[in-house]
Amino acid sequence: MSELIVWLADWAPVMVGGAVAGASTGMLGVYIIGMRIPFLGVCVSHAALAGAVFGSLFGLSGPMLLVPALAGAIVTAMLLGMLEPETTRININVLMGLLFTLSMGLAFLGIGLFDKFDMSDNNVRNLLWGSLIYCRWSHVALMSAVAAVQVAFVVLFYKEMRAIMFSRFHAAAAGVHVTFVWTIFLVLTAAVLTVNFQTIGGLMIYSLMANPAAAAFLLVKGHGRALGVAMLLGAASGLGGFVISAVADLPTGAMIVIFSSTLVGLSAVVNYWRRRGKSGLGRTPMR
Amino acid sequence: MSDSVIQIDNLEVRAGGRIILSVENLSIAAGESVTVLGPNGAGKSTLLKCCLGFFKHGSSGQVRLLGENVPRLGAAGLSRLRRRVGYVPQVLAAHSEVPLTLREVVAIGRSGIAGLLRPLGQNDWRIVDEWIDRLGLGQLAGNAYSDLSGGEQRKALIARAMVQLPELLVLDEPTANLDLFWREQIVGVMDELFRQIHMTILLVCHELEVIPPCCRRVVLLEDGRISSDGTPEEVLTTERIASLYGGSLTVVHNGDRHAVIPSGGMER
Repeated sequence: MSELIVWLADWAPVMVGGAVAGASTGMLGVYIIGMRIPFLGVCVSHAALAGAVFGSLFGLSGPMLLVPALAGAIVTAMLLGMLEPETTRININVLMGLLFTLSMGLAFLGIGLFDKFDMSDNNVRNLLWGSLIYCRWSHVALMSAVAAVQVAFVVLFYKEMRAIMFSRFHAAAAGVHVTFVWTIFLVLTAAVLTVNFQTIGGLMIYSLMANPAAAAFLLVKGHGRALGVAMLLGAASGLGGFVISAVADLPTGAMIVIFSSTLVGLSAVVNYWRRRGKSGLGRTPMR
Repeated sequence: MSDSVIQIDNLEVRAGGRIILSVENLSIAAGESVTVLGPNGAGKSTLLKCCLGFFKHGSSGQVRLLGENVPRLGAAGLSRLRRRVGYVPQVLAAHSEVPLTLREVVAIGRSGIAGLLRPLGQNDWRIVDEWIDRLGLGQLAGNAYSDLSGGEQRKALIARAMVQLPELLVLDEPTANLDLFWREQIVGVMDELFRQIHMTILLVCHELEVIPPCCRRVVLLEDGRISSDGTPEEVLTTERIASLYGGSLTVVHNGDRHAVIPSGGMER
């Protein structure tokens, strides 16, 4: 019993950190997946990586790396928010592809420069894969603070975000201040992804953003319910993945991704059986 | 001061190095039901977007909507103006993933009016429910919008526009991709709105059959220019429609409804 308590005390920040990251990115995912721009997460988090790489090259380390990372993420998010598809005549997904490859190019150029200047690139390599098991209460506090801002934003701009998720064009047609709310959302997205990115990694963050939202959409309808379920499933993914990895002695990041993907699969099965039950024939295609 | 809801003077829109819309003068008075008709690419949707301030780049001339000089409005001014206009775009929007219910989609119409940082109140939801019922969608209010048929989605978008309690209703091809049943349903809705609440309606379409009985003015748009403006009987002549769409077409006026009957091969 005492061993379990010690184990829990040791790993509590990791578990809480995983749950907070999952809930936070799950909430973000509802909008990003709802708007069919899942690539936004990858694009912004890799821009943060590029920022962190160059910050590290200039001698920054530890929490200070967040500053250039956040700057990279915000610049990219603002570029995406300010460029209107109608003006640029480029689809937002194509634009994200361009920015993603550019930020990846910059990040790897920066990583290449570490060798040239005889510097260690361990700091930034950890960012790519994340280091959840090294998560400490100071990280959790920062992640929780950003998550609290995120919740406040969703509460304050609930109806605007619902309209924007449906369609930015329809929202604008109804007189919603789309550019204003959308820009704040993008900056907040940059902050959430940057803060969580150093703990859970640039690759894993994508699954924690997309999978809980996708599962929620299969299970419930309604804006508020989707947000609630996505946050719950996100938290469950972060926590559950870690527990499984600890018990089975498997890589934590991989287990979180597999666990959250399994939740999507189970949700799809529930959705199928529910629709089959409603139609009585089992021939209704899945949404 | 005129009572024009829309007043356009010397509007010119350029895209890709050519003029895609050139309207010398167009005035729509309050209480009118007007249809802008023309083939694909005639500039109908561009005209609507100019009126609502969605098409600012590459345009010149004056567009006044509900007394506001649209090209001079900033983002906040445009948002305020758009709240006074119920606009039903051609695009249905919402992907299959979006988990919103029909009631939530209709409530989008109240989102701008309620203002920033204020949740929708009881009165907003009462208006939302009232219009859902009025358009016969009460049974579907809790259903996912993405599960609705195309016709039901179109009605929901009209309800979304109507909950704004607009001074003007603008519909862009509201029957696109709908079958005959739903087309007649939408035509019926437009006619009822005009007759029951004397709503000023601006409809854009390319089919004569979509023109509602209440419409007593048709503006024909051809290659970005107004080629004719008058009553449906004056504008929609067999000669004009045949020359516009090509081939042997016969226009039939049956009371307040209008239709085209193909009577031979198509030539353009």
